[in-house]
Amino acid sequence: MKTILALIIAVLTLSSTQAAELWVGSATADITPDRPVPLTGNTTVRVAREIHSRLFASVLALESRDGGRATDHAILVSCDLCVIRPGIQEGFRKHLAGKLPGFDLNKLFLAATHTHAAPVLLQERYDEKDYGDGMQPKEYVPWLYERMADAVVKAWENRAKGAVAWGLGHAVAGHNRRVVYSDGKAKMHGNTNDPMFRGVEGYENHGVHVLCFYDSQKRLQAAAIAMSTTAQAAGGGNKVSANFWHDARRLIRERHGADVCVLGFCAPAGDQTPRAQVNKKAEERMLKLRGLNYDQEIGRRVAAAFDDIAGVIAKDIRTDVPFVHRVRQIELPARIITEAEYAVARKVCEEIDTRTTRAKNDAWRRHFFGLVVERYLAQQKGGWKMYPMELHVMRLGDVAIATNPFELFVDYGVQIEARSPAVQTFQIQLATSGPKPAYYVPTPRAVAGGSLTENAFDNYSATAASSLVGPEGAQTLVNQTVETIKELWRVPTK
Amino acid sequence: MKTIGCLFLFAIVATVPAAELWVGGATVDITPDQPVGLDGMRGIRVSTKAATPLTATALALESRDGHKSLDAAIIVSCDIIAIRAGIQDKVREKLKGRLSGFDLKKIFLCATHTHSAPVTEDGKYALPETGVMKPSVYADFMTSRIADAIAESWQNRKPGKAGWGQGHAVIAQNRRAVYADGTAKMYGATNDPKFRCIEGYEDHNVDVLFFWNQQDQLIATAINLPCPSQEVGGNAIHADFWYPVYNTLRERHGKSLFILPWTGAGGDVVSRLMYGKAADERMRKLRGNISRIDELARRIVNAWEDAYEGARNDIRADVVLRHCVKEIELPMRQVTDAEVAEARKEAAKYAKDPAQRWNYGWNQRVVDRYEAQKAGTEEPFKMELHVLRVGDVAIATNPFELYTDYGVQMKARSPAIQTFVIQLACSSGGYLASERAVRGGGYGAVIQSNRVGPEGGQVLVDRTVEAMKELWEQPVTTKRPASKKSRK
Repeated sequence: MKTILALIIAVLTLSSTQAAELWVGSATADITPDRPVPLTGNTTVRVAREIHSRLFASVLALESRDGGRATDHAILVSCDLCVIRPGIQEGFRKHLAGKLPGFDLNKLFLAATHTHAAPVLLQERYDEKDYGDGMQPKEYVPWLYERMADAVVKAWENRAKGAVAWGLGHAVAGHNRRVVYSDGKAKMHGNTNDPMFRGVEGYENHGVHVLCFYDSQKRLQAAAIAMSTTAQAAGGGNKVSANFWHDARRLIRERHGADVCVLGFCAPAGDQTPRAQVNKKAEERMLKLRGLNYDQEIGRRVAAAFDDIAGVIAKDIRTDVPFVHRVRQIELPARIITEAEYAVARKVCEEIDTRTTRAKNDAWRRHFFGLVVERYLAQQKGGWKMYPMELHVMRLGDVAIATNPFELFVDYGVQIEARSPAVQTFQIQLATSGPKPAYYVPTPRAVAGGSLTENAFDNYSATAASSLVGPEGAQTLVNQTVETIKELWRVPTK
Repeated sequence: MKTIGCLFLFAIVATVPAAELWVGGATVDITPDQPVGLDGMRGIRVSTKAATPLTATALALESRDGHKSLDAAIIVSCDIIAIRAGIQDKVREKLKGRLSGFDLKKIFLCATHTHSAPVTEDGKYALPETGVMKPSVYADFMTSRIADAIAESWQNRKPGKAGWGQGHAVIAQNRRAVYADGTAKMYGATNDPKFRCIEGYEDHNVDVLFFWNQQDQLIATAINLPCPSQEVGGNAIHADFWYPVYNTLRERHGKSLFILPWTGAGGDVVSRLMYGKAADERMRKLRGNISRIDELARRIVNAWEDAYEGARNDIRADVVLRHCVKEIELPMRQVTDAEVAEARKEAAKYAKDPAQRWNYGWNQRVVDRYEAQKAGTEEPFKMELHVLRVGDVAIATNPFELYTDYGVQMKARSPAIQTFVIQLACSSGGYLASERAVRGGGYGAVIQSNRVGPEGGQVLVDRTVEAMKELWEQPVTTKRPASKKSRK
C-alpha cells in the first residue's frame, strides 16, 4: 500500500515537473590565490610559491521550464580542490543567501576534482605554524566563496534556452592503486615487481561519461565530464596545480571553442588514480616519445575521449528532456570501531601528545588516529552509529546523475551503474560536504587487506581510520541511490 | 665527460658483435571450402557460410652477424580457437627439410580464440557423418597451409627494422560477476541486488611491435591484446573482431601489411559487456549503426595508431633478438572427493547422449584424473615455453586461457620495457584460474575447467619471469644507440 501511495505521489509530483524546455547557464571562476598558499592532500603541508596551472571553479546552472514556468533546477560546481571539507558547502550556501532569487540553495552542490595541489580549506587541518607566510585557510575560504559566488550568480543569471546531449566513451586514465600480496595483505601503490605480488585488487572503470550543453544555436557552451579517476596524475610538487584537468580543458577549448565551460567530475574512484601500478616503464617511454609529462598525457587521453564522444552525440541534441532533481538527507550505518582499533589509535595519539617536539606529519597523524578514538568513545555511548549525508539524484533525459561525498571504491560505482535504469549513469564522488569528514568507502575485499596498525599507510584507504563508512554503509548508499534513480524513472516522460 | 661516454659506447660496439635484424612475413587463407563443425561451445554447430576468411600469418625474425645467424623465431598467429594437441607438431613435421638452418623448435603457433572457426580434433563433437569436413581433414589442410606460410616467411626475410609502442583500448571486460554470498558466475547478471563486484582486473594495454623494411615501409605488426576474440556467435565462419582490424590497418598502411594478433592473458575476460549495454548500443547507433565488432576494431586501431605515433620516433635496425624454448612442468590441480563425486554423476548423465559428448568429456576427464591421482600415476602438466627478447620487448607464451592476474604478474616482474604475454600458444591447456576465481567457483574456475590451478599458475609465472631475466642478464648486442626518425 505504501509503495502504491509513494508511486502515486511521485507520479503526481513528477508529472507537474516534466520539462518542455531546458535552460542552461554556465560560468567559470579563477580560484587560484596569487600569493603563497599551503597545499592540502599530503601528510605534511607544503607552501606553494609557484603556480603550475591555475585552479578554476566551473559552474553549470540548469533549469527546466514548462510553459514559461520553472519546474526544477540545479547548480553544479566543479572545483579544482582536493575535497569539499566539512562545512564548506554549508558556508557557501550561507554566503549565497539572497543572491539567487527563486533558486533553492539546497539544489546547489560543490564537487572536487581531488587535485592534491590546491589550498588547505580547514585552518586546523595541519599545524598552523607550518602555513608560514602562506594565505591562511581562514583567509582563502572567504575569498574562494566570493569568487565562486560571482560565477554561480553569473551562471544562474545568464541561463537561457538551451539543449543537451550525452554520450559514453573511454579513456584509460585511472588505475586501481591497491596491490595484493600472497599473504592476503594489500597496499596502496605497493610494489608490483615483487615475487609476492598476486594481483591488482579490483576492477578498473575506464568509462568517460559526457554531458554537452548547447545554446539555442546549438553551439557548445558547457561540457561535464565524469570519469573514475582523481586528479592525481603528477604526484607531489610544491606548485599549485589543477593536475590533468588543466590539460584536458586546454585541449577541449582549443578544439571546441575557447569559451566552453568544462566541468571535470570524479566518478567513484576511491581505489583508482591515474598512476599505473604495473606498466610504469612503458608509460614513461611513451611519454618521452610524445614529449609530454604525465598530466599532459592524461589530459590528452581525456580530450581524445571527449572528441570521440562529442562529434557523435551532436547528432542527438535534445531540447525537451525531462529534468528532475531530488535532494535527500540520508543516513548510512557508520563503520564501527573495534576495541583493537581503538587501542592502536589511542596508543598513537598518546605518543604524539606526550612528545615535546612534534614531527611534521604529527598534526595529520593525530587527526587521523584521533578521530578513531573519538568515534569509538562516541559509539560506546550510543553515538556516531550513523553517518548523515546529502544525496543529489537527477534525471536529465536518459541520464541519471548521482552524488556522494566519499572516495567511493569503484565496485560501488559499478553496482550503481549496473542496477540503474538510466541509459547512462553519471556519478560524482567528493560532492557536497556535511558536518563530518567523508573519507574513503572501501569494499569488503579491501577491508580484508589488513587491519589498522600504528603505521597509517598499512592498508591505507581501507582501515577503520581511513573510512567512516564501511561496506555495510556503502551497500545502503548503493541501494538508496539506485532506489532514488528508479523513482525518477518510474514516471512516464513527455 | 661526453668524450668518455663516446669512448664507452665505442667499447661496447667493439666488443659485442653487431646484430642485424632480418624480417619476413606471409599470410595464408585457412578458410575451409566445405561446411565444418565450429569449435568453442558446448553444443554442436555446423558452419553455414564463411562470413569472413580465416587467415594465418607468419612472422620470421632472424638476428645476424654478417652471414652468421645468431638466433631466430617464427611466430604464427591463427584465426582459430586454440592450438589443439598435436597441431603444432604436425606443422613442424611438414616443415622438416624445408627451412635450411632453422631449428623447428623455434616455431610456435598461437590462436586468436575466435569461436567461429573449425574444430580440429576428431571425436570432440558428434558431427554429422556426411556433408561436413572431418576435423582431422581440416587440420591436415590447415597445417599444410600454415607450413607454407612459415616457409614463405622464412624465405622472404630481408634486413629490416623494428620498433615498439603501447596504446590503450577498452576491449577486455572481466566476465565474472561476484555476489553477496561470495560465489562468482561467468556472465552473471549485474543488475541483481546481490551483485557486489566484477571479480578481477582488466588489462587495457595494447602492446604493439612494428617491423619496417630497409626502405622504411611498414611490413608487419604484431598486436598483443589481452582479450580473446569471441564477440561473434552463430553458425558462420568468422575471424571475429580481428577481421575489421586487418582491413582497416591494411587500408591505411598497405594492403600487404602482415598483421599478427597475439592474444594476451585473458582467461577471465571477453569483449562482451557485463553492464552499460544500453549506452554502448546507443553510441554505436549514433556512429552509424556500427556493429559491436566494428566498434571493437575501431578502438584497437585507434590504440595501434597511438602506439605507432610514438614508436615511429624510435625505429631500430640493430635490435637484440634472443629466443629460448623450454619444456617445463606445472603441478596439476588436485581433484577433491567432492569434485569427483559431482563429475562422476554428471558424466553418467551425459554418457549415452551423442549430442552431449562435450559435456560428457568435460566431466569424465575429471574422473580419469582423480583415478590417476589416487593411483599415483598422474603426470605433471608439461608445456613448451617460448621466451623472446626483441630489443626492449619480452615475449612469453603459454598454452592456457590464462587469467589476467597471472599476465599482470609477469608484466610487473619482467625486466623488459614492454612485455607481450601470448596465451593459447603451442598447445591447449584450458583455463588457468586465479586463486580468487577458484574461491568463487563457476565455469572457468571449477575443476572441470582447470587442469592446472593457482599453484601451477604461480610456477608458470615464476618460470616465465626467470626466463625473461636470463635473457636480460646476457650482454646487449647493439651496434649503435637508438636512432631517432622524424615522423613522416
